[in-house]
Amino acid sequence: MSEGPAQTIVLQSNDNVAITVERKVAERSMLIKNMLEDLAGSELDSAIPIPNVNESVLKKVIEWCEHHKNDPQTAADDDSDSRKKTTDIEEWDQKFMQVDQEMLFEIILASNYLDIKPLLDVGCKTVANMIKGKSPEEIRKTFNITNDFTPEEEEQIRRENEWAEDR
Amino acid sequence: MARHHDSPSLDDLPDEVLQHILDFVPAEDALRKTSLISKRLHILSSQQLLWRNHCEYDFTYWDARHGMPDKLDADIGEVDWKALYKYRRKIEQDVGDVLDSILKSQTGRIEKYKNISVHGYDAKDALLRHCSADEDQEDALARRYYATSVLDHIHRAEALSTWDRLKRGENIFLEEALGAFDLFVLHDQKGDLNEVSQALHDIASKLLDEYPAMKDGSLTTRQKALTVVQFLRAHNLVGCEDPASYRDLRNNYIGIALQHPDHASLPLISVAIYVAIAQRFEIDARVCGVPSHVHAVVIGSKEETLDGRPVMKKEDAEEAMFLDPFRSDQEVPVEVLHRFLASWSIPARDFDVHLRRTNTPGLVVRTSRNILASIQEFRAQPVIANYTDQFTMPLHSNTNPFAEIENAYYSALWCNFIFGRPDPHPNEHDQRQIVPLILEKYERLYPMDCHLLEKYICPLYPDVNDVGHLDLQETLRVVRAADSTPKQRRPRDSQASRESVRYKVGQVFRHRRYAYMAVIIGWDVECGMNPHWIASNGVDNLSRGRNQSFYHVLVEDTSIRYVAEENIEILETDEVDSLKSLAGRYFKRWDKEKKVFVSNICDEYPDH
Repeated sequence: MSEGPAQTIVLQSNDNVAITVERKVAERSMLIKNMLEDLAGSELDSAIPIPNVNESVLKKVIEWCEHHKNDPQTAADDDSDSRKKTTDIEEWDQKFMQVDQEMLFEIILASNYLDIKPLLDVGCKTVANMIKGKSPEEIRKTFNITNDFTPEEEEQIRRENEWAEDR
Repeated sequence: MARHHDSPSLDDLPDEVLQHILDFVPAEDALRKTSLISKRLHILSSQQLLWRNHCEYDFTYWDARHGMPDKLDADIGEVDWKALYKYRRKIEQDVGDVLDSILKSQTGRIEKYKNISVHGYDAKDALLRHCSADEDQEDALARRYYATSVLDHIHRAEALSTWDRLKRGENIFLEEALGAFDLFVLHDQKGDLNEVSQALHDIASKLLDEYPAMKDGSLTTRQKALTVVQFLRAHNLVGCEDPASYRDLRNNYIGIALQHPDHASLPLISVAIYVAIAQRFEIDARVCGVPSHVHAVVIGSKEETLDGRPVMKKEDAEEAMFLDPFRSDQEVPVEVLHRFLASWSIPARDFDVHLRRTNTPGLVVRTSRNILASIQEFRAQPVIANYTDQFTMPLHSNTNPFAEIENAYYSALWCNFIFGRPDPHPNEHDQRQIVPLILEKYERLYPMDCHLLEKYICPLYPDVNDVGHLDLQETLRVVRAADSTPKQRRPRDSQASRESVRYKVGQVFRHRRYAYMAVIIGWDVECGMNPHWIASNGVDNLSRGRNQSFYHVLVEDTSIRYVAEENIEILETDEVDSLKSLAGRYFKRWDKEKKVFVSNICDEYPDH
């Protein structure tokens, strides 16, 4: 490479807002990082379109990446941290995730699309924590899900999933 | 309930994201809740991959019969992981129920232990949770004590099975055969057989990181063998730096040596570690069991010398080099070992047998002798007034050294029983000599081991008219009868029991003459022993004689003694740590305010 990498890049949301962001911050997204690596050497003069994410969500995601820009990168094939199934969330992330449900789902979808594994984990853990301690009916209500079981089906699943009597 | 189409729904997320969310949902919730939400979530909550993860990360130990390593390698569809998970949860619940019942009553415990131990290592995770019962729990000490005791029993069954298979000629790794000793003193700590293998594997990985040439074919066997010993010594993983601690009991345990920060070990254990690591690099390393100081030997192949030259002459095939990983990172010349063998009057024609062959049973028995030597040294120490000053031989933390000495001694007995005298001629007579020693320990400390005795010792006495057979059956019967008979109730229903028995079950005291600390676990209104005991213990020389109250007491050295009231000096202290790990046998917890142990033997002493 003849010159050092550009310090900032421009991302374009699906509602056509251009957002300038430090390259290191944007590279928390493996999608963007790989894209920039593929483009290495060639001129990067236009904004990178992010077709699935609108401005408010993209800004929120960038806010997270900003805060976590110095975190160590986990290897792409290393999913052991999420499989350990700890649902602990660090304090800053907890505050960050205090958003309405629509935004929460949007952040999860955006982090999935942009391939930001740690943010996806935080989002999924937040939802998992909301499931804990609730009855199926409460979960349906909280997450707006329709019950499509007949009572007989529900009873059968209840029975097949028992490993011991409730107490 | 109608779905509101404008507001966001979890249903809008793709399967892969929902699966990821379910990965963070505890298994119970996945079974009892998320699978009941909707058809889609039912399907996602039933994915075998999800249940494989729950099996792998919710449980650490699996009984060997599951063949877990193979299952984890198999295609995901070949194993019903969800069923396996439910099976383990059922066991967890059963273990909890049986343990509760053990805590509740002093009767029928042998059978209850068996109801847990039939699950083998499938019960270990559940037991470990009870072993670390929170201090504030109402029955914390009893729960920890009995959970540990059941686990100890399962560990012993595993150890004996390992040795038995070795004796029957099965191929048992040396580190497993030696790790079996660890199982007798392991309790709830790390260092089980699979963890010993894992620790060795980790050392080998570290070695490879530091010396990539170990696997690239550029080094000769001799260079590789020396690299291993230099690596182990540079990282202080073998040897014993402090000569004063050479005879420490813990230096006999491969599991402890691998995990303890200073990694001290006896020569035999150091060599076993060396051999295990070297073999992981395709080096034909063996234990060279010369008398008194074990060495390692590395053997070249038939085609290539240790220095990588093709074998031209017959005598160059399978050449040997010798190492002493315990104290040197250089080769030991064969002449040194020859001189050594000659000094033990071993004829030259037998040198090769001693120098080139790993005799695993022989090394196991040798370790048991080393353990006995350590115990002897410990027992030879002068008895100091304060017993806690003698706590110089910790194995794992938070254990009572006297209890550990018993456990270590018991392991040495079993080892010598199983292998008899391995060299040169196994001898049934030697085995029989050990049986009474095992029976004595069994009666006093390990009544739950009765089916281990039935499995391994009874076959030695097939003849029903044999005195040994009768003795054995009688001991088994007496112990079982004592276990299944409800304890006699001893209420304070007489004036004497209310007035002349001043102290209560659970009080801690120091013996006025012998200075040991103990806790009261029972009482008699007057001395209840026979005239012989009364005479030999000089009871009538006491100032209050035999007609004062007497107490059954549990001493910090694990013994149970019988003490006259006048020798009891009640302590009001918080320094009862040396008793805590033992007290759970009779007590629920330590009462910090009243400074007494809270009784768990109210079926026997309802009024304490």
